[in-house]
Amino acid sequence: MTAIPDPATRTRFAIFRGPRVRKFMRHRLAMIGLLTIIFLTLACFFGPYLLPYDELYIDLRARFSPPLTGSHILGTDPLGRDIAARLFSAGQISLTVGFTAMVLSTLIGTVIGVVAGYFGGWSRIGLMRIVDAFLSFPSIFLMLTLAAFLKPSPTMITLIIAVTSWMEVARIVEAEVRGQSSRDFTAAARMVGAPHWWIMGREILPNVIGPIIVAATLTVARAILLEAYISFLGYGIQPPLPSWGNMLNNAQQYLDSAPWLAIVPGVAITLAVTSFNFIGDGLRDALDARSVQ
Amino acid sequence: MIRFLTHRTLQGIVLILIVSMIGFTVINLAPGGPLSQYAMTPGMSQQDLDRIAHQMGLDRPIPVQYLDWLVNMVSGDWGKSYRDQSPVLDVVWRHMWATLLLMGTSTAIAVALGTLIGVLGALKRYSVFDYMATVGAMIALSIPTFWFGLVAIFFFSLELGWLPAGNMYTVGDQSFSDYAIHLIMPSIVLALVNVAIWSRYMRASTLDVMDQDYVRTARAKGLPRWRIVSAHIVRNALIPMITLAGLQLPTIIGGALVTETVFTWPGLGRLFIDSLGYNDYPVIMGLLMFSAILTVIGNFLADIGVALADPRIRLG
Amino acid sequence: MTNTPFKDLTHPSRRGFLGMTMLTAAGLGLSGLPGAARAQATGQVIVGISQEPTVFNPHLLHIEVDEGIHWAIFDPLFSVEPDGSFAPRLVTEVPSIENGGISEDGTEWKITLKEGVTWHDGTPLTAEDVKFTLELQKDPDFRAARRTGHELIEEITVVSDTELTWKMSSAFAPYMAILSWTFIVPKHAFDGVDPNEAPFNQSPIGTGPYKWDSRAPGDNIQLVAYPDYHGDGASIERIVVKYVPDLTVLYTQFKTGDIDVIALQGISPDHYAEASTLEGKTVQLVPVGTVETLSLNLGNPVLADKAVREALYLGVDKTTILEALYYGLPTPTETYMPQQSFYYNPDLPGHVYDPEAGKALLDEAGWVPGGDGIREKDGQRLSFICSTTAGNHVREQMQQFLQQSWKEMGIEMEISNLPPAVMWADHWMQSQFDMAVAGIIFLTGPDPDTTNYMSTDSINAQGGAGQNTFQVSIPELDELLKKGATTVSPEARKPIYAEIQSMIREELPFLPLFQRNEVRGHLEGLQGYEPNINVRITFWNMQDWSWA
Repeated sequence: MTAIPDPATRTRFAIFRGPRVRKFMRHRLAMIGLLTIIFLTLACFFGPYLLPYDELYIDLRARFSPPLTGSHILGTDPLGRDIAARLFSAGQISLTVGFTAMVLSTLIGTVIGVVAGYFGGWSRIGLMRIVDAFLSFPSIFLMLTLAAFLKPSPTMITLIIAVTSWMEVARIVEAEVRGQSSRDFTAAARMVGAPHWWIMGREILPNVIGPIIVAATLTVARAILLEAYISFLGYGIQPPLPSWGNMLNNAQQYLDSAPWLAIVPGVAITLAVTSFNFIGDGLRDALDARSVQ
Repeated sequence: MIRFLTHRTLQGIVLILIVSMIGFTVINLAPGGPLSQYAMTPGMSQQDLDRIAHQMGLDRPIPVQYLDWLVNMVSGDWGKSYRDQSPVLDVVWRHMWATLLLMGTSTAIAVALGTLIGVLGALKRYSVFDYMATVGAMIALSIPTFWFGLVAIFFFSLELGWLPAGNMYTVGDQSFSDYAIHLIMPSIVLALVNVAIWSRYMRASTLDVMDQDYVRTARAKGLPRWRIVSAHIVRNALIPMITLAGLQLPTIIGGALVTETVFTWPGLGRLFIDSLGYNDYPVIMGLLMFSAILTVIGNFLADIGVALADPRIRLG
Repeated sequence: MTNTPFKDLTHPSRRGFLGMTMLTAAGLGLSGLPGAARAQATGQVIVGISQEPTVFNPHLLHIEVDEGIHWAIFDPLFSVEPDGSFAPRLVTEVPSIENGGISEDGTEWKITLKEGVTWHDGTPLTAEDVKFTLELQKDPDFRAARRTGHELIEEITVVSDTELTWKMSSAFAPYMAILSWTFIVPKHAFDGVDPNEAPFNQSPIGTGPYKWDSRAPGDNIQLVAYPDYHGDGASIERIVVKYVPDLTVLYTQFKTGDIDVIALQGISPDHYAEASTLEGKTVQLVPVGTVETLSLNLGNPVLADKAVREALYLGVDKTTILEALYYGLPTPTETYMPQQSFYYNPDLPGHVYDPEAGKALLDEAGWVPGGDGIREKDGQRLSFICSTTAGNHVREQMQQFLQQSWKEMGIEMEISNLPPAVMWADHWMQSQFDMAVAGIIFLTGPDPDTTNYMSTDSINAQGGAGQNTFQVSIPELDELLKKGATTVSPEARKPIYAEIQSMIREELPFLPLFQRNEVRGHLEGLQGYEPNINVRITFWNMQDWSWA
């Protein structure tokens, strides 16, 4: 098993204190990633107020303006809407979907992982088989199947992504918890008759929070990418709602005449996903957690 | 060993059953159906559609349909495609080799490049090269494949005109060089992610091996550096990679899906997208099953690989 | 731009002039000299399409792309020509009341087949095959694509190998058109097998100018000329129908010369301007029978108000939509009837874009703006959902443009697009939509009958059978439709259908937007590629194609 925090410093969520924060701050890529994400989030949520255009305003006379035409910094789309404005509001949706999907899948994964790891025995075997079953659906197939047969909306896409990406977290958490539940303090808690949920929530969870955070960060990156994949294939978020993925879906047919339609959102996705991956990498180093590939 | 085999086989069967149930239920419970594409046919009516649905047995309760399908599947009859009536196994088989060609080429590229980058990175740990490789791999893992494909098409097909924008071959010219030139872009685009993954694992694995006694011994014996690297380090570092290869097996279908769509490559991924569009239930189920079976086999091989590579782990 | 070069489709076709040497539509190239030994077919042509043909039994449920293959492999008894007339294929003479082929009351038919026609496997064609084909449609166990018309046949009598007669329970004028789409299939290919599963369905045998060669699923289908064809045979030896699922890739391959002909949806409108300048390629606008509509569900309480429907139509800036989003390619229309049809009514009131008039109309009808600017009446908001197939980019653009235009009038439209499998299932067939963007071919071939789309009996949601998903139900309209379908003479039918069209224009169960024109492209050297609005597919006459 990997590093388990030294019991002496085992105050709750000690992880956020002291040397680890400093170590993370020294991780240059992670800092770049963090700053990029902060910048992107601010831009997406506040940028629209700075732009002269509404993301839904249609101006057919100005369609297909290349970047830097007048005040269209990033050009316009086939309906003459400002791409910068759309990129920002698409970002709101893509980031929200990514983040919410992460929260959901981390929750599911953590609960299943903790329960399986803590109780062991048949509940472990049962739960981990379910994990295996979900893992053997190539997730892109399952997601497309779900998205094709259900009515696509941001909520639905978020749920679909969450349902297909919690297994990683469950596996990591289960492995960590298995190591933890045999340790002295858990045994002690059990001896004084503490209820299971108390031991799981108060004793075990804080000790496995590190790997969970790392996995969660990487899940955001994955979720953003997945949303882009589904929407690109046309089964994701539907217009007029913009998302980074569906901006690209519309772009493919104009690749030769208006390449900026494809380049702009692609860069945004890559930037966001890379940043989250960098942050995850930095966190992993800082928290010295089990490797999550 | 026998216990291990039966155990894993049973597990695999249960797993495939669960996957098939979920898949079948999702497909059949959802609104719409395979007949909706005919709604716009002149002269069509709901009565006609209902009649045909009845003839196809689509109006039976889902559990009945599922059991029917399951019994047939186990006996080797995976049903017939709604689109062209050919047996699902034939359909899968026909699209398989296009995918294998693409995946094979791209895996070869990924393994070669990934091993090279990974080993060099480990040997020159913390060098500028290593650092660049690390950052490069993370960026490669973050770029949406389809977007990378689009950008590649934009530059190499539309702007420069060097490579074909899609398809597996030119009709009428199915020579080796024709296939090769069509393979270049999709296989490289597809390899990008795998180079990244493979190089990261290879680097870690190489670092592990470099610490081993036999490497130190070899070094102490004064063997030439290239001998140590090739005969001892790389060889041993590759062993745990068997596991990775096993785990990657099921991605054969899923992994190429988006690339096949962007480059209109006639493989399993595009078959899946097409089948979704036509609501070709039997083929969708067939592909889901196919990938689930590959996953089971892949996991199994990976476990065996681990056991072979690390004698401390016993199967069972 | 909106004037299509093919508006006049009256030039005669080759088969219309059997036995006569004739110039092809392009005015060049002599082909198929009758009497002389037929020249050996040579060369090949690659036809690129964006959907894959997969159903080769022409009577099984299929989609339009499949019919391209059917036209090459099979023959109907007689075919429908671009001008709407019928030309004999397997019969010696197209049956009519004048020549005695059809009885005065339209219920008794007599057909005489040509001598010496053989199937691709060498077996001679007989009247039994025709009988089998017609009866197959009525077989309750067969997944027939269409039964309308065939159901009226009561008994078929085979008089001799080349002659048969049948009786119908009532006269049905559209049956000529239906027969012109009914390909004759060989009885012997179905001996003792379930017609749904026959090997024939995978490797069809016809009497047509091309015979089945091979199929690489997901990629291409190859056909070769049938040397013993009974009519003027094909002059191109091999046809490769190549499936390229992406329109942009399809166009690129046309540009680079990988594909000789772009058929089906053709070149996407945004590539039209560029395509017209391509060296060595002919790019044409070809009218098709599809009418793009904003279909309305009259069962919706808001849309049931005729004032609302009129106001919506007044708020559609059709010119801008057509010019900007569709690059001026489609032809604006006021009716469901293709403008090339003999029955087209040109005197319908024209559409004007006048949002102010629309607002006034709504005010007058009692729809007044509420607190959020959206109009209300009796507590009902002037709000509805518009849906179409998800992934159709131009339609999605149009929806968003309309959304903005109507919002300025105080009308709220939400967009909710669905995957095709959901969109055209119960959502469409059982009238569960509010508004749908739908391209509809209302006619069967040249026949003007649209009972299936407009009669009260055709509302699925009300227990009927048909495609009247608008739920339009007007007793006078039902009467007119019935009268039209049982009247045989075209001259007598014309005023009936003119009236039906003005009734529909008045009632607006759907807002007619435009009639589609496909952008079709082929190599300059290819001749004889003639469009035919009366069939569902543009590559219907491949036997007439030739290389210069």
